[in-house]
Amino acid sequence: MNRFVIFTKTIRDQRRGIFAWGISIAALVVVMALMWPTVRDMPDLKRLLSNYPEALRKIFKIDTYGTPAGYLNAELFSLILPAVFLVFSIGRGARLIAGEEEDHTLDVLLCAAPSRSRVAFEKAAALVVTVGALGGILFMTMLLSSWAIDMRLAIGDIARGTIAVTALSIEFGLLALAVGAISGRRSTAAGISTLIAAAAFVLYLLGQLITAFEPWRGLSPFTQALDHGPLGPEWSIGTIAMCACGAAVFAAALPRFTRRDIRT
Amino acid sequence: MTAAITTVGLSKQFGSTIALDHLDLAVPTGSVFGFLGPNGAGKTTTIRMLMGLARPSTGYATVLGLDATRDRDEVHRRVGYLPGDFTAYADLTGGEYLDYLGRLRADADPRRREELVDRLELDVSRTIRTLSRGNRQKVGLVQAFMHNPDLLVLDEPTSGLDPLMQRQFREIASAARAAGSTVFLSSHVLGEVEEIADTVAIVKEGRLVVVDALEHLKERARRHIELTFRDPPPASTFDSIPGVRDVTVLDHTIRLVIEGSMEAVFRAAAPLGVENVVADHAPLDEILIGYYESDSS
Ligand SMILES: Nc1ncnc2c1ncn2[C@@H]1O[C@H](COP(=O)(O)OP(=O)(O)O)[C@@H](O)[C@H]1O
Ligand SMILES: [Mg+2]
Repeated sequence: MNRFVIFTKTIRDQRRGIFAWGISIAALVVVMALMWPTVRDMPDLKRLLSNYPEALRKIFKIDTYGTPAGYLNAELFSLILPAVFLVFSIGRGARLIAGEEEDHTLDVLLCAAPSRSRVAFEKAAALVVTVGALGGILFMTMLLSSWAIDMRLAIGDIARGTIAVTALSIEFGLLALAVGAISGRRSTAAGISTLIAAAAFVLYLLGQLITAFEPWRGLSPFTQALDHGPLGPEWSIGTIAMCACGAAVFAAALPRFTRRDIRT
Repeated sequence: MTAAITTVGLSKQFGSTIALDHLDLAVPTGSVFGFLGPNGAGKTTTIRMLMGLARPSTGYATVLGLDATRDRDEVHRRVGYLPGDFTAYADLTGGEYLDYLGRLRADADPRRREELVDRLELDVSRTIRTLSRGNRQKVGLVQAFMHNPDLLVLDEPTSGLDPLMQRQFREIASAARAAGSTVFLSSHVLGEVEEIADTVAIVKEGRLVVVDALEHLKERARRHIELTFRDPPPASTFDSIPGVRDVTVLDHTIRLVIEGSMEAVFRAAAPLGVENVVADHAPLDEILIGYYESDSS
C-alpha cells in the first residue's frame, strides 16, 4: 500500500508553484550576478559606499560589498530573497490545511485518511520538501552563476546562505500551517504569520542599530538566519534553532487540530 | 440486534444557537433510516458529530458500537460518508479523485467502484471543475459507497440529482441494505426517502419530533392534491371524506389537503369526470402539524 498518499498529492499540487517561483528566483539571482562585474569595476565604489548612512551600512553589511559574497548578501540575501521565500512559504503553509477547510474538501480527506494527525504530518512534510525544493533551485542557480561569472564563491558559503534562507522560510511556513490547523482560516494563518515575521525582522534590525535591543536580537529567526552572511563560512546553531522552533510550533498545534470542530 | 447508530442526549450549541437539543436515536442495524427535517433543523450538525468532525457539547453518539469522538479513526474506516456540501478537488478528474481516496483507504474495491460509476453514468475522465452539480454529487456518492462500508452516512444524498439518478441512487442504497449495510440518510423532503426508508425520524429546531416506521408516517402524512374536472365540481362531495380538509374550489379545479390514504378521494373524483391530478407531499412542517394535532387528541 502506498504509505505517503497525502504527501505525494500535496507535492504534485505544488509542482507548478515551485516551477514558477523557482524561475523567478533564478532570474533574480542571474540578473544580480550579471551586474557583479560592473559593480566590481566601478572606480569609486569604496568612496560611494562610505557615504551610506551608518544604519544601512550595518543592515546590508556594506563593508563587505566589494566582495562577491558581500555584494550578493547586500543585494539578495539580506532582504529580497528572504521576503520572496517567506511569501511563498507562508502562503503555502496557510493553504495546506486551512485552505482545504475553507474549500470544504477537508471533510472527506479527514474521513478517508488514517488519522487527523497523519494528514497534518504529511502536509507539513510536503511543505518542508516544497520550500526545500525552492532552496535547491536557489543553490543551483547560485552555483552556476558563481561559476559562469567567475565569482569564486565557496560551495560551503553558498550552502550556508541558501540553507539559512530556506530554514527561515520553513519555520514561518510551519507557523502558518500551525495557525491554519488551529483556526481553520487561511487569512488568519497568513496574517498572524506575516505579522510575527515582520516583528521578528524589526527585532533583528533594532538589535543591530540600538544597543538596548542587542541582548534580544538572537531570539529573532532573522538574526539566526542572516547574521554572518548568510552567504559565508560561519555556520551557527541558528539553522538548527529555526528548524526546531518550526517543528515545535507545529507540534504544539497538533493536539488542538486533532480535537477541534472542522468548519462548515 | 445492536443499533448501528445510537445517540444519547446528543446536543450541540454554537454560541447562543442550540443547533441540536438532546437527541436520542437508535438506528437499527441493516435498515434504511431517513433523518428528516426542514432546513436548519440540525441534521448536518448531527451527522458531523457522528463522523467526529464536530464534538458534542453534551451527550454522545456511538457508531457501529464505537464512540464517535474517541474512536473516530476506526469509525472512519467502517463508514462511507457523504457530506452535505460535498466538494472534491476541482482540478482533478473524477477518476483521479476516486483514485486518491482509494489509495488513502486500504479497502477500496475497484470492481465496486466501476459498478457504481456505471450505474450513475458518471464520466470519470472529466475534470471536476467542468462537472454539473448533479455530476459532482455522483462523485461524492461513488466515494461513499466504493469501499463497501458497514454503514453509510449520507447528508442530503440526492440533492442536485435528476429524477432518473435519484432512482439509481435509491436502488444502490437498497442493494447496500440487502447486502447487510445500514444506510442513514438525511433529507428535507419526505418524498426523497419514502420509497426506501424503513424508519423515519423528524427533527425540527434541534429537537426530535417523531420516530416512526415509514408506513405509519405515510398514513398520517399530509398530501396536497389538485384535481381538475371537465365541469365545475361540487365542493361538498369532498368535504365529507374523512381525512380531507381545506377544500377550495376554483373554476374547474379543486384543491384539498388529505391525511392518510387518497383512495376515497379518487373514488369520489372518478364519476365526476376528472381530467388531471397533481399530488404532492405537504412540506415537512405541515406533516408535523398533523402529528402534533393527532397526538394531542
Ligand atoms: N458552525 C456553525 N456555527 C453557528 N451556527 C451553526 C453552525 N452550524 C450550524 N449552525 C446552526 O445550527 C442550526 C442547525 O444547522 P444544520 O445542522 O446545518 O441544519 P440542517 O442540516 O438540518 O439544515 C442552524 O440554525 C444553523 O444556522
Ligand atoms: Mg444540512
